[in-house]
Amino acid sequence: MIQLKTLLNCIDNSGAAVVECVNVLKKKRAGTVGDRIVVVVQRQRNFDTGIGVSAANKVRRGDIRHAVIVRVKKEMRRPDGSYLKFDDNACVLINKSGDPIGTRMSG
Amino acid sequence: MPPRLPGKPTGLVLPFAAHQLTTTNVPLRMFGIKSITSPQPNRFNSGPDLPLLKSTPAAALERKLNSLPLRTGAIAIKKGMTAIFDPETGERTPATVLQLDRVQVISHKTLEKHGYYAVQVGSGWKHPSNVTKALLGHFSANAVSPKRHIYEFRVRDEKGLLPIGQIINADWFQEGQYVDSRSNSKGKGFQGGMKRWGFAGQDRSHGVSLTHRSLGNTAPGQGGGSRVYPGKKMPGNMGNEQNTVQNLRVLKTDPENGIIIISGAVSGPKGCVVRIQDAIKKAWPQIQKAAIESSTESSADPTA
Amino acid sequence: MAALPPLTRQLGCLRPFMRSHEFIQQTCRRTITTKYTPKPAPVDLPKNLPPIFYSQLPDRLRPDFKPKPFKIYPPPPSNAKKCKDPLTATTEAQLAVLDPTGERKALFDYRRSRRSVKPGDIIRVTFKNGDPFAGVVLNIRLRGVDTACLLRNQFTRVGVEMWVKVFSPNVEGVEIVQRTEKRKRRARLYYMRNPKHDVGSVENIVKNYMRQKASIGGVKGTANKKARS
Repeated sequence: MIQLKTLLNCIDNSGAAVVECVNVLKKKRAGTVGDRIVVVVQRQRNFDTGIGVSAANKVRRGDIRHAVIVRVKKEMRRPDGSYLKFDDNACVLINKSGDPIGTRMSG
Repeated sequence: MPPRLPGKPTGLVLPFAAHQLTTTNVPLRMFGIKSITSPQPNRFNSGPDLPLLKSTPAAALERKLNSLPLRTGAIAIKKGMTAIFDPETGERTPATVLQLDRVQVISHKTLEKHGYYAVQVGSGWKHPSNVTKALLGHFSANAVSPKRHIYEFRVRDEKGLLPIGQIINADWFQEGQYVDSRSNSKGKGFQGGMKRWGFAGQDRSHGVSLTHRSLGNTAPGQGGGSRVYPGKKMPGNMGNEQNTVQNLRVLKTDPENGIIIISGAVSGPKGCVVRIQDAIKKAWPQIQKAAIESSTESSADPTA
Repeated sequence: MAALPPLTRQLGCLRPFMRSHEFIQQTCRRTITTKYTPKPAPVDLPKNLPPIFYSQLPDRLRPDFKPKPFKIYPPPPSNAKKCKDPLTATTEAQLAVLDPTGERKALFDYRRSRRSVKPGDIIRVTFKNGDPFAGVVLNIRLRGVDTACLLRNQFTRVGVEMWVKVFSPNVEGVEIVQRTEKRKRRARLYYMRNPKHDVGSVENIVKNYMRQKASIGGVKGTANKKARS
């Protein structure tokens, strides 16, 4: 159940670590896995690569980006009655055309 | 200007008033301006092209023509809920299990006698010593055993009147067809406005004292002024009132045990009486013609 | 007109004298307007009335009158008596299709069957359409055809939980990978969600089990008991 102000983990290498949902697109209800949302980057990831933070990170703190939800805490119902849930809320940043910003996904 | 009196007798000019003249002999005065339209004998609007009045029983019947089911329904008992798995797709459908017990047609309501067509159906069995004499007479006149539950199902025309004494079993409904269910919801007792009508209540704090779940204003703030409007939502008895659930799919039928399994939930506790009839918002089931014909044939035996 | 009221008023003083006559007056008045006739006492029928005259009497007065009893028709055969518990009947009918051998039922009926899955066991569920899912059993819900178990695992250090409907046609097989060492004292192991008690990923245990199974060459479903020991 992703809605306004929900904090999500960003699990790609775009440089964002924690993002905050500001809008769920094309939906009046809470977002779930597969939904596109608009997020604000709240915390950046620190890469120990030696390169400067600004060079490795494609996004910065305060950026407004689109994202796709990939994991939610709220259980998802399948047609055969089984439920699946995760222990965290996570998303992957995308650009407006729908391509991922990062190149790798961790988890 | 003073009105002018006509020179000749007025009866010729105004034929409609002639009888007045002849009967009362009152001199009729004619004014200068005459009406072009002929006066209407009836002050009500009437004529062949006018639409039918909406508040008559005939109009009500015509209005309901398309929304009345073609065939009767059945009285079932809710036995509980379960789920049905589709072995091919693996899809799980929550379902309600209903049972038909000795459902039988008791009598008919006809347009000529009662003003509408309906089938009176009974189910279960009641010991004759617990049945009033009036009802016993009704049952014995129709050659039906005393029934515990009696309900009417309206049908569109006389074609839907099943023969009296006909037993309605689970195969009356076809698997895959849609039905509407009617039953009394679970009684909740006397409830406040928050539970009964979804009122917001009042604050937990901010100076609110002892009125956290109260109704609030009922009259002036709602346009009533010095009075409370009729129908104001207020605390009272909640539940135990008839609720219709539309478009429930019949998943399985078992005529041997009288079991009907329909998708989704039905109002009321386990053991409550549920009335099911063909859904009025879906196409009528295809079997109906064949079923009615076959039923009339088969019914000839038990009644004879 | 003006003189009349005082006159009647003066005559009004004579009223008390008239009062004694009022009763007589009333009775007189009544006899004029309505004629009181007392209800006729029922006349007893002559005893030993010859039956020839019965036809002249109304039905209820005839000595041989008996109210005609209603004809009570017998009820048709009852479905409710034949099938007293339709809910169980439908469940059994479904289980006959979904679990014909009853193996699956025995595998999860942890209250009755000793060899069944118990909370705390690690099981692996294979699906017809999709990846297998393995995890620790936190909870078993016995609800007839809706029987389900809650599995918990970790992927990439993120906990994942799944409610599996045991009799779902999508579930192809259930294998017990590892039994719990000690019997758990609770039926619902929700405390295992806390980091302190979390078993973490069961991936390695399952991998070992699969390798063992492959080396034995056991058949799916039956090998689990061997692997366990």
